[in-house]
Amino acid sequence: MIHSKLSAAVSAKENTSERQLQPVSADPAQAVLKTTRRDFLKTGGMLSLSSLMGTAALMTQSDDAHAAVEWAEHFQKNYRLMTDQEKAESRARLEKRYSSEYGKQVTVDTTDAQPGVLMGYALNIRKCIGCRRCVHACVAENNQSRGTKRAGEKIEWIQVLRMERGKFDAGKMNQGYPEGLGIQVGGNAYTPAGQILEGQYHYNPEKVPEDDANYMPIACMQCEKPPCVKVCPVRTTYREPDGVVVIDYNWCIGCRMCMGACPYWARRLNVTNPVLPKEEMNPVTHYLGNRPRMRGVVEKCHWCLQRSRHGRYPACVEVCPVGARKFGNLLDPESEVSLILARKNVFRLKADLNTFPKFFYFYD
Amino acid sequence: MKKIATYATILAMCGGALYSVIAAENVAEQPVQVEATKEPVVCFESRKGASEITQQEIKPGWPNVKCSPTTGAALWYGDPFEGTVPMGKMPLLENIPDGHALVKPRTEKLALMPLCSTACHNGVGPQFTPPTLPKDKRPTPIPTMEAMVPDLKNLQHGRDRIWCMDCHHTTKRNMLVDNFGDPVSFDQPQLLCGKCHGDKLRDWRDGIHGKRIGEFTTGGKKRWFTCTECHNPHNVQDGLRNKGFVQLQPEPPPQLAKGMKDAKHELVHPVPH
Repeated sequence: MIHSKLSAAVSAKENTSERQLQPVSADPAQAVLKTTRRDFLKTGGMLSLSSLMGTAALMTQSDDAHAAVEWAEHFQKNYRLMTDQEKAESRARLEKRYSSEYGKQVTVDTTDAQPGVLMGYALNIRKCIGCRRCVHACVAENNQSRGTKRAGEKIEWIQVLRMERGKFDAGKMNQGYPEGLGIQVGGNAYTPAGQILEGQYHYNPEKVPEDDANYMPIACMQCEKPPCVKVCPVRTTYREPDGVVVIDYNWCIGCRMCMGACPYWARRLNVTNPVLPKEEMNPVTHYLGNRPRMRGVVEKCHWCLQRSRHGRYPACVEVCPVGARKFGNLLDPESEVSLILARKNVFRLKADLNTFPKFFYFYD
Repeated sequence: MKKIATYATILAMCGGALYSVIAAENVAEQPVQVEATKEPVVCFESRKGASEITQQEIKPGWPNVKCSPTTGAALWYGDPFEGTVPMGKMPLLENIPDGHALVKPRTEKLALMPLCSTACHNGVGPQFTPPTLPKDKRPTPIPTMEAMVPDLKNLQHGRDRIWCMDCHHTTKRNMLVDNFGDPVSFDQPQLLCGKCHGDKLRDWRDGIHGKRIGEFTTGGKKRWFTCTECHNPHNVQDGLRNKGFVQLQPEPPPQLAKGMKDAKHELVHPVPH
């Protein structure tokens, strides 16, 4: 309607203006301007009308829950700006869509941060045996894409880094820099004394732990000053009051700025359509947590918000067979993490970047 | 341009019609459910040979545990408290509300347990009077025992400074023993292990050492893993460096990045030197 009125108004004016033949111009920018204003508006109007009609056709002729809620989802606000009612509507929309999509009752939790809770995580670096059970527990809990056919279809949030164990043994005496002088001069940045390789993610021995390796799991560190939040152009990723850095997936534009900014390689982009079999889907989800993602959005560890907001340990903590992973409330002096900070030797990864992670590595 | 717009309109209309047809077809196709009787999946929790859990559905679409198809390890807990009992009284843990500290009993899982106490080491009868009891604390290899429990042939604990009777009760063989010679249940090995590893016992009590699952809040309901669920007490010094654990098979590695054929680049140093 709007378009037709507009074109009618224009057409009145149009009759008076003469259609001139195009002046021959040497300027290529002017040379291509062959359409008149009327033509342009008309075409534009037709195009937008056609696209609207097409969408309307898609919308009206299908009672598929998926299509109907996608439409509403496109126009919802950023999660932080939603009123409680809008949150409830959005939750109902998502629950309806996911339930029909995955063939089971899916709940989408919107519990806010609990007062008096600041979550913290600690990992005993000397205990980790590199079994990668945490990696797969995370996938089972958090509805990541798990395809195997194409690159980028399998998404894992935790990476376990195998690092060669530095040893000052006779066989490595000459492996420093400059060559031949060896570790006596202390190695250098490229070859730290006694250590040859930098790190492996794809290690796959028959048995772990290996004698000559240390293992270092890394995931999102839930920084106090997260570089990913600073760079997000649509402000869809932000820090919650309980310390967890979350993403409103609906507002993510997939620009990958956060992936570049994160110094811990913690963020993953859904390059392909996520592959999530119905039977493997975890139906207990959180809006900012493990609800199924779409293609082109970034995701990362959120300390299992759907569990931890209700007082339960994250999935990786629960499956670690050696008890290396510890989780608790930093504001509670009796919690596991507070006691570790009080008693153990603790360090934070890349502390020099002033990101202030709330993920602590410790050792006995 | 006008033509394009017209075609686009027609195309969109057709697309809409086509989509509705496809959607209708999708509805028509009902998935045929085949009910197959499956073998019960049993997976191990922390280490092989200790606590196990049988996979079952506790509510529709919600299993009690998810097991790894590669290694058979428990990967995810739907119900962290399955098969647990209250831990009982533990010194310095009296503040925990009743029923909030749970353990999984091991006693029924130990195959030799019923035999130990009745068949041979019942501590009564003429053949078990003091002459057959050990005269001193020097280790004596007993072929029968070594055949039954292979770990004993090469006891990797205490660096040859301890032997069986330091941990197992002399006459009540289905029990362990504490510092005063009193029997300790196999479900409370921490009372025994804390004899020597007091620092670890203290950390375990505070939740810093070992594993607890369930609710993370202080005083929350938790299942506590006891010492022997993660460590094999007969084999804690396995190899050069094992961090106190028996080696096990790792879960599969991550997917290779696009264009990467293998991960051999990780095995060479990136900078020639």
